[in-house]
Amino acid sequence: MKIGIHGLTSCYGCQLSMAVVKRILDVSEKFDIKYFYMLSSAGKIEHVDVAFVEGSVSTDEDEKELRMIRENADVLVAIGSCAIHGGVQSILFSEGIGYEEAFKTVYGDKKMDYNGRIAQPLDKFVKVDYRLPGCPPEEEEIMYYLATFAIGSWPEEKDYPVCAECRRAGNPCILIEKGEPCLGPVTVAGCDARCIKYGIPCIGCRGPVSDVSWFDSLAMSFRDRGMDKEYVKKRMAIFASRYEGLNEMIDKIYGD
Amino acid sequence: MESSDNVYSLYKCRLLRVYSLTDEEKLFLLRFEDSDIAESWSFIPGQFVQVALPGVGEVPISICSSPMRRGFFELCIKKVGKVTSMIHKLQPGDCVGIRGPYGNGFPMDEFEHSDILLIAAGIGMVPLRSVFMYAVDNRWKFGNITVINSARYGDKLLFRKELEAMRDIAEAENIKIIQTVTRDPEWPGRVGRAQEHIKDANTDPKNSCVAVCGPPQAYRSIFEKLIEAGYDPNKIYVTLERRMKCGVGKCGHCIAGSSTFLKYICIDGPVFGYYDIISTPGLI
Amino acid sequence: MRYLKLGSRNIDEFLGRISNYGDLYAPQKISEKFYDYRKVEDISQVEFNYNRTITPAKKYFIPPKHEMFEFDMETGEYTETMGDVKPFVLFGLHACSIVALRILDGVYLNEYPDKYYAARRKAGIIIGISCLPDEYCFCNLRRTDFVDIGFDLFLHELPDGYLIRVGSERGHEIVDENMDIFEEVSNDDIENFKKFEKKRHEMFKYEGSFDNLRYILELTENSPLWDEESEKCLGCGNCTMTCPTCRCYDVQDLPDIDGKHGKRIRFWDSCQFRSHGLVAGGHNFRETKKDRFINRYVCKNAYFYPLGTSYCVGCGNCTYFCPAGIDFLKNLIKIRDVVGEVAHGEQ
Repeated sequence: MKIGIHGLTSCYGCQLSMAVVKRILDVSEKFDIKYFYMLSSAGKIEHVDVAFVEGSVSTDEDEKELRMIRENADVLVAIGSCAIHGGVQSILFSEGIGYEEAFKTVYGDKKMDYNGRIAQPLDKFVKVDYRLPGCPPEEEEIMYYLATFAIGSWPEEKDYPVCAECRRAGNPCILIEKGEPCLGPVTVAGCDARCIKYGIPCIGCRGPVSDVSWFDSLAMSFRDRGMDKEYVKKRMAIFASRYEGLNEMIDKIYGD
Repeated sequence: MESSDNVYSLYKCRLLRVYSLTDEEKLFLLRFEDSDIAESWSFIPGQFVQVALPGVGEVPISICSSPMRRGFFELCIKKVGKVTSMIHKLQPGDCVGIRGPYGNGFPMDEFEHSDILLIAAGIGMVPLRSVFMYAVDNRWKFGNITVINSARYGDKLLFRKELEAMRDIAEAENIKIIQTVTRDPEWPGRVGRAQEHIKDANTDPKNSCVAVCGPPQAYRSIFEKLIEAGYDPNKIYVTLERRMKCGVGKCGHCIAGSSTFLKYICIDGPVFGYYDIISTPGLI
Repeated sequence: MRYLKLGSRNIDEFLGRISNYGDLYAPQKISEKFYDYRKVEDISQVEFNYNRTITPAKKYFIPPKHEMFEFDMETGEYTETMGDVKPFVLFGLHACSIVALRILDGVYLNEYPDKYYAARRKAGIIIGISCLPDEYCFCNLRRTDFVDIGFDLFLHELPDGYLIRVGSERGHEIVDENMDIFEEVSNDDIENFKKFEKKRHEMFKYEGSFDNLRYILELTENSPLWDEESEKCLGCGNCTMTCPTCRCYDVQDLPDIDGKHGKRIRFWDSCQFRSHGLVAGGHNFRETKKDRFINRYVCKNAYFYPLGTSYCVGCGNCTYFCPAGIDFLKNLIKIRDVVGEVAHGEQ
């Protein structure tokens, strides 16, 4: 089975996670890896059974490359928060800041040799077949996704939040107990509630649970615990700024 | 079945034949590898089995053959999800894991000495074929029989050819086969939904048992037509579908009904009576 | 029933003795406000006065996540991987938790007994302890505030120790083998036991009966309450994970990357998750958040006929551990009571 592992604009952390899985030798034996940019710049985009794509579409080139990957792949898997939800870099979107303004703030009058834009997730451009969430994805899940493809099947995506794993793990709930701004209730599971285990509230790095992230209900819960709108909005937008209706949900609770 | 103290243990079955029924449904003929199990294993029409492919998962599938035919059984499987897609790739000679049979099945004893009216919409023909085949195998136990098989298009009618081929025997045996489609302009036969053909059944409403299987939204209007035609509500049965992970009343996915009638479809059903259905929100 | 007294001075000794029967698990303080069952490494950590644990005792019988089989994809063989379950002692269950286990017994040990559950249930020694209700408790309305069976020993608080009820053969054996630490029950003890029971009864916030609730619930499915309350819901599943009788699980096959081996695991699921009612092909029997929200109320208030009680034991966990602050009991009372009248029985 042929696979390709690609990176658009991103930190390359997802590719790194895939490169350093303990059983990388088994992976390379099972799959004919046609493209893995992080490991070798020699690969070229050709037909593969499964393409894994990290990163968000942040330049015209990203879009062009993504479309080419899609055309050459039977199955396309978005890996990581950037590819699935646009990532941290798309935060400008929910703040209503345009690309020109943001560029100017950071780089002043400098010129770049690419055409940038506010980051967008892959599914704004192409059909995404499966999502492998994480920032970066967990090794266990990477191996599960690969193994299901290897046997001609496909992975079951988790559709439930971190809370479920947090309760299964027997952690105290820091949202209830300490009023911490934990995004566990709206963030897709898979990390075994790692941060909460150490008393750190979930920041939502794995991204929202597809279609069933109730940011409005959570905003209500935060509001009732005394958190102000700006704070809540900023926190929720870090990894979920591209989530459909996020601002509206927050406005509904706090008022415009 | 061979004794195992683990209700989730799977028994290997080999696929003997695979037939394509439609572009989405295939019929699989299976036999347990262990010949003692193969010969002794039996079930009631309307029951289901859990079919497993290691590495992929398990799904509940209604048995569609007659329990009178020992040594093998048939499953008609629609390609809809992860497990069924993989099963569709299998060839004769390949194996799957099976456990069961599960569920209550149709009360066949009660059906005896009555006429039988079977009403199927779409994939609903699958469990009803088991009832039908059983009735044919025990022809002397039952009165007149009508099968109404319906689908949107002619090429989606499950077991269409099999039922067509039976027509001559059927006539001699007082069995009426009605096949109807709702959306197919090319179809030369009957058109309209299953319930619109109830009036043409050869069954006596005063002495009939009715088995219905189809999409949940079809039930109310089928019930109306049946009662209008004089069928006894006490003798109307339907079989339901849910997500199931265990088949043995544990995993909770198939729990349905209301606070006064909460049921595990897998062990309390999948066959329910008309009055259960109409008095329980959430069953259909 | 057989009664004994455990004097205050022998309590630590008692904990030491029962830990001879297997690994000891008991409620312990795990954070500022929360308690949970944990393995006892130091008996001074055992908590006798707690209201509720964040994980119900079910975790010892239906582990949150565990392996069912290993399989060989080439031969199609499944091998059961549960080894022997070592005996263990579960100390400090409240009456409602014990009823909850009996409800789970009814489900997991029905005509298709679940081996994984049965083995753990057989290995577990259950020692109950009396408690006083807080404002979240309504076990009295569920008639689960006192248990007759389902435990090996049950400890009732006295000013100077515990009155012990012996509830099983194993309970008798434990007592017989440790007679030196028990005393006979005196008349004072009996009076103190009665006093405690009276106090306990008086502390419940609500009185009355919930027996007809399931019918009222069925009749009020169109109440606007369901829209309002489900709107607040996060769909996070905390209510079901912390419920002592919620028992839904999901199963998943995990193939190995070698394409030859793999394992089948199961883990706690929740009816509050979208995929719970989803069938292949896309139809969802509980499509909306509101459907899923109502489903829990329906399921919990249905009757488990073998015990003549509802699936809800009135422990208050789902309210206490709801991050959205949804009050299960208040909602039930709103549904039960006549519109416009003050909540019946509220003190």
